[in-house]
Parts: sequence; structure tokens; C-alpha cells
Amino acid sequence: MAGPVLELRNLSKEIPRADRDPFIIFRNINLSVQEGEFVSIVGPSGCGKTTMLRVINGLLPHTSGEIFIDGKAPKVTDNELLMGFVFQGASLLPWRTSLKNVLLGLEGRNHSQEAQRVAQKYLELVGLSGFENHYPHELSGGMQQRVNLARALAVDPRILLMDEPFAALDAQTRNFMQLELLRIWAQTKKTVVFVTHMIAEAILLSDRVIVFSHRPGTVRSEFKVPLPRPRSMEVKADSRFLELENVVWKQIEEEVNASGGFTQM
Amino acid sequence: MNGRFHDYSSTILKGGSILAGLLLWHLLSEYFIRDTTFIVSPLVVVKTAYDMLFVTGELYPHIFASAWIFFYGFLLAIVIGVPAGFLMALSPVVRDYVSPWMMTLYTTPRIAFAPVLLLWFGIGGGAKVAIVFLGCVFPILINSFYGMRVVNRDYVELARSFRLRSWALFLKILLPASVPFILAGIRLAVGRGLTGVAIAEWFGATEGLGYLIFFAGQTLNIPTLFVGITAFAALGILSFEVLRRIENYATPWRNGLEVRD
Repeated sequence: MAGPVLELRNLSKEIPRADRDPFIIFRNINLSVQEGEFVSIVGPSGCGKTTMLRVINGLLPHTSGEIFIDGKAPKVTDNELLMGFVFQGASLLPWRTSLKNVLLGLEGRNHSQEAQRVAQKYLELVGLSGFENHYPHELSGGMQQRVNLARALAVDPRILLMDEPFAALDAQTRNFMQLELLRIWAQTKKTVVFVTHMIAEAILLSDRVIVFSHRPGTVRSEFKVPLPRPRSMEVKADSRFLELENVVWKQIEEEVNASGGFTQM
Repeated sequence: MNGRFHDYSSTILKGGSILAGLLLWHLLSEYFIRDTTFIVSPLVVVKTAYDMLFVTGELYPHIFASAWIFFYGFLLAIVIGVPAGFLMALSPVVRDYVSPWMMTLYTTPRIAFAPVLLLWFGIGGGAKVAIVFLGCVFPILINSFYGMRVVNRDYVELARSFRLRSWALFLKILLPASVPFILAGIRLAVGRGLTGVAIAEWFGATEGLGYLIFFAGQTLNIPTLFVGITAFAALGILSFEVLRRIENYATPWRNGLEVRD
């Protein structure tokens, strides 16, 4: 079996403070993600899960430890796009149409006609054909997140990093988007690291769920999701789903209490 | 908001307001202040304007003289102000060097510079263009600077996550994000530029709308004076209209984003 696509070894992030010990965001994170695996990270608010995702993507530096992608340490200066990042807010450029937003990562890398074709293909994949020339403000929140997803997928990254992409959507749209993501993931077979604070979302989507402790974030436990694919909303009624949800919730509750309780968050 | 009905009633209100103002002016000059060295009816102004445009044609050289000065000063302000604003936004060193000068020049009344600019650049076009430039450049520079400084951090992160090179970050993110601010600065500059034209032509000019108004004032030629003012207003409205079109063309994505009342 080939090595992991993403491997974190003792990854730590601290923020130095004057006259005091550094502020530790997360420490000694060890994580391997295999080809085609969908891994979710859940944890109490402020546990550093989002920060870790940004560190992996090179948006923030880490203090110690190592990040490997396909066994190599990526450099920020690398031109090759190994990671696609799906932001929490859609962060679409308002002056670009859907198609041109998707083109952002492709421009200058591909021949322009080829880039157009690829962008078109991914808009189609996320169910937005016919909306190529719409500006972001003409799209609903769910549609904007679809463009966001298409934009990250279009560069054909080794790993898709998703930072609470559905958190800002209403509950109904969120459910639909979760199902859409299951479908798209099944079609693209991407390796995904998905950060969320919603346990049910993590279980529904993932092969594996990682639970973070309270700050400083560490890996508290991890669970394989024992549910067959393809999945639909019905798995949420499955006893194994409910059991896992309960166990994860208990752990997060413990973490929140250990950090001084909910009011301290 | 209510679509066509709102547009329609808005047009009626605007037109009605203009007509009411003109009527009031007419009544004042015809029945209350009957002194033609003080005020004349708008009808007299229209008649004078007609004569100056179509009978004697004497208005044209003044309009062209003012329009050219305005155009050159304005264009120069854009050509220098926009890149200077960008440089200030992108380089703290440039910012530190430029900002004390900018604040001083910006807050000093421009009319104070007029005599010295005339001394330096002579009575020809140069000094006038310089005065207009001085009026226009700061709103444009400040807005270009500000526009680039307040670019949404998320967009910059997005660029980094796609590993855009710095030129691509500038061309694809920073520049388009600043365009609405730059255009707003340019719009602000129109009024200040026209003021600059008037000031420049008060000091030693032999033609131009500012000269025309100044001369008419000295000779108590009230109809000509108002024709000059109206021509200035027309120049301003024309510039705004041109800018509005450029704006619609340059930022089509903002159509529908604008707050409508």
C-alpha cells in the first residue's frame, strides 16, 4: 500500500508573547490521511482545528513538527498546487463571475481554452451549469459554496482542505450541501480533511472522525465510521450513527468542561 | 425600489424641483428685486446664452479654454495620483515619506498656491493646469491609497492559498478590489477640479469661463455672469455623466449591489 497522502508529525503551533510563556494553539498533532480518505476533525470551539488547517495549507507558519504531502515537505514557493482550500465564507471575488472565480487557480497554469473547459466541467460537477456568467451576489449562499468547492477542486489538488464550509448556511441548505458533497466526493475520489463543529456532519461525511481536545489542541481520540457507503440522510437514524454521535458528544462535553466550562469559551 | 413607478415619480420630482427653482428666481427678479445690476431673470440668461452660442459665438473659446485646462489637470491627477496612492499603500517607506507632504498640501487652501504657481509656470496653460491638478490629485491619491489598504483579508488569503505570485495578487485581487474606491475619488475630484479652473482663470487669464465670470462681475454684466456659471455647471454635469458611464462599464459586477433608496 502506498504511503499516506498527508502526514503530520508532532505538528505544533505557538504564538510568542512578551514576558510570558508562548500561547500554544495546538501541539504534537500526529495524523495520517490515506489516498481517497475523508477525515473530519471536530472539537470544542477554539481548539485550534481551523488554525491547523491553515497551517497545513501554508497560510500560517508552524512552530515545530513536520508536514508531508506524498512523503515530501511542501514549500510555500512551490508552484504546484497540492492543496485546494474551501473557505468558511465563500470568499468569492465579487468582480468575477462564477466561471471566472473557478478560473482563478487555473489561470497561468493551463492553456486558456483548456482552463475554460476545466472550469466549466467543475461548475457542472457542483450543479451550476447555466450560472457561469452570474456574479456572486446573484447567487444564494448554497450556490456560492458550490462555486467555492468547484474553485478548490478545479486545480485538481492532492488534498482538499475544507474549513467549516457549511457553517454559515441555513440548516436545510446545509443538509442538501452535505449530500452534494457526498456525491461529489464519490465522483472525484479526493482525499479530504474536513473541519467542522457539527458532529453529525462529521459522521455523515467521513471515513474517520478525529476529536480534538480543548486548547491547546491535541488529538484526543479517533473513530472509524462504521457506516457503509453510499450514504444518505437515513444513516442518521442508524443505531451505529447515533451511538458514535453520542460518544463523540460526551468527549467534547468533557473537553469543554475541562477548559472551564461553556461560559469560559 | 418600486421599479418603474419609483423611477417615474423620481423624474417628476426632480424636474418639478428645477422648474420651481427657476420660477422662484424669475419671480424674484421680475417683481421683487428689479435691478439688472443685481439679478436678472433666467429667461434673460437663456437669451444671452443663446446669443453667445449661436449669434456671436463668443462663448465657445471660453468653454474650450476651460475644458482643456480641466481635462489636462484632471488627467494628470489620475495618471499621477492613482499610482502614487498604490505605492503608498504597498510600501510603508513611501507612505512615511509622502504622507506629511500630502497632508500639508491637502489641507492648505489651493488658492494660496495660485500666485506662486503663476510665477513659476507663467501666465500660459502650465500654471492653470497645475492649479487644477493640485485640486484633483489628493482625493484621487487618498482614495487609491485607501482602496488598496482596505482590501478584504479573505481575498488576500485566497490568493495565497492559490499560490498567486505577487504581480497576480496585484492585478487579480488588489487592483480590481480598489477600482470602486478609485472611481469614487475621481468623482470627488470633478468638483475640486472645476473650482481649480475658476481660481486659475481669475488670476491673469484672457479667456476661459473663470475669466468670463470674473470680467462680467467687474463690469456688472449680470446676464453674462450667469451664463458663465451655467456653463460651469454644465461642464460638471457632463463630467459626472461621463464618469457614471465609465463606472458602469468598469464595474459591471456592482450593478444591483448598490444601495437604492
